Amino acid sequence: MRRRELAVAGVLAVLLLVLALRAPSFFQGQPLRSLLTREAPVLVMACGMTVVILTRQIDISVGSQFSVCSVAAGLLAAHGWPIGAVIPFAVFLGFFLGAVNGALVAGLGLPSIVVTLATMVTLRQGLNLVQQGEFVNLPDRVQWFGLEQTPGQWSVLAIALAVLAGSAFALHSFAAGRHFYAVGSDAEAARLAGIRPRRVTFAAFAGMGALCGLAAVMNIVQSPQVQPLAGAGLELKAIAAVVVGGVAISGGRGSVWGGAIGLLLLACIPSALTHLRIEAYWEKAIQGGIILLACATEIARPRAKKSPPAKAAAA
Amino acid sequence: MKIPLLCLLFVSALAAAGAAEQKVVVAMMPKAKGNAYFISCKAGADIAAKELGAELLFDGPVDTNAAKQNEIVENWITLGVDVIAVAAENKESLSTALRKAQRQGIKVIAFDSDAAPDARSFFVNQATPEGIANTLADEAARLTGGEGEIAIITATLTASNQREWLKRIEPRLAEKYPRMKVVAVRPSDDLKDRAQSEATALMSAYPDLKLIMAICTPGVPGAAEAVKQAGKAGKVKVMGLGLPNENRRYVKEGVTDCVILWNTGDLGYLTAYTAVKLVTGELKPGATSFKAGSLGEKRVVGDNVLLGEPFIFTRDNSDRFNF
Repeated sequence: MRRRELAVAGVLAVLLLVLALRAPSFFQGQPLRSLLTREAPVLVMACGMTVVILTRQIDISVGSQFSVCSVAAGLLAAHGWPIGAVIPFAVFLGFFLGAVNGALVAGLGLPSIVVTLATMVTLRQGLNLVQQGEFVNLPDRVQWFGLEQTPGQWSVLAIALAVLAGSAFALHSFAAGRHFYAVGSDAEAARLAGIRPRRVTFAAFAGMGALCGLAAVMNIVQSPQVQPLAGAGLELKAIAAVVVGGVAISGGRGSVWGGAIGLLLLACIPSALTHLRIEAYWEKAIQGGIILLACATEIARPRAKKSPPAKAAAA
Repeated sequence: MKIPLLCLLFVSALAAAGAAEQKVVVAMMPKAKGNAYFISCKAGADIAAKELGAELLFDGPVDTNAAKQNEIVENWITLGVDVIAVAAENKESLSTALRKAQRQGIKVIAFDSDAAPDARSFFVNQATPEGIANTLADEAARLTGGEGEIAIITATLTASNQREWLKRIEPRLAEKYPRMKVVAVRPSDDLKDRAQSEATALMSAYPDLKLIMAICTPGVPGAAEAVKQAGKAGKVKVMGLGLPNENRRYVKEGVTDCVILWNTGDLGYLTAYTAVKLVTGELKPGATSFKAGSLGEKRVVGDNVLLGEPFIFTRDNSDRFNF
């Protein structure tokens, strides 16, 4: 596990080294800070996605949840709600949307890919119906939480880092955090050990939703308009980051740090290509290649692990 | 079963004939009736209907919904309108209903987005790819003084309309403005936020960049926000294809110089004129031009009625438009 995170960090280091040699302009303060700030909401969602995937589930509705929370938060802000009230509202709305997924998956035992596919489409279409694709214009005081641009960007980054550190700590040091790993590795064994897998699964989805709400606010403060399409494709971005970062899609293994490094690597690629003057056609191919490579190492691993017990059984 | 239906048709036909003697009934269908873009089309169509003494029915799905469009056309067939003008959400599915309308003697035209050629007499074409591409290239040249590095932000590298435009913008620049250079073409997935990131990277990678052109509508405000946040307003110009409402703030602040689109009011006006003139026989298939009220003589190429040059929204005129 550690090795995997180091490997991804190594790839990232190589990319940064190439950039430092070939295109040092990549490291200018303002553009780099803007790039990181733009990815900060995705980092928050990647933390939630790590927990969902650790529990051996998946949530592909996160992009739609993000869009719904963005538009709802934007409309309230436009109606004069102070940003201090908009944030908890968005988080709560996200929590509610996530809880619906959680209830359907944990309560009714439906497969999460089907449930979240349904909520993804439903939320997206519902939003289209209400908003017709029209932008929401925000009052000026919303941008950067009413701060100047630079401190505003640092605040967004600080929130993301706080969520990252907080979830890493909780997953590692709290018993409740380790329950996610236990349920993802073997739900039945976890149940026998006194953990309630349904409750843990529900918590993973509800937490994911709440983080979508938080991420939505972190995004809408970065420009004066909300595009209802905003979250489209975010689910893939979050899942890709997590998978590249070494979280096993089969559950039970991985960390939020891995997801963070994976996201950083994937997020740097578009900007890196621009700086290295490589045609945009390569972008998706490179990102896809990285994901494939990550999955390939994933497949190679369990085989190695499973062979000793097989031998034991034969003996 | 058949007899009451026939009676109903007969009665409604009589009613239509009696109530509106020679008053042409134009049924106009947008992709979505609540959409500001189509509402502004309707405003133009209303003016034309008034000038021509026609009756305008304006109805469409609330959401973009291909099935609902069919339903509305069916209703209009029953109602016995004179002419139907549609902006097709789904070319294939709607065209079946439109052919049925034609068989019942109802004239059909399309506007904004075309139906199958055999399912309508004319398509009111708001902008040809040449018109869009040339206007974008010429405006970019005007803003940069015809020289320097520019970058283009597209929706995706594969979208057909984007490719059509790109394919024409680059040769136009090369031919007419050889001292301008397109240094990068970057996709934005039609996302404003992504366009903002792309524009940020473009400005740091190309410090001499003079202009960012976005050829998808969310790209323009995205690029403008990036330029503003980089503190490069005025130094790096922003322009592209866009809606006045989405860009108003940046146009006012002087970050975005201009956005290009067609005048939607004129599009609605021309659509209503085409519809009525087709019914009255003043516009026949094969015509090469016809007189469209205050818009003057409009060109007809094949079965396309051309709206003409795109419209350039700037700081001075964009307040007149609300879509």
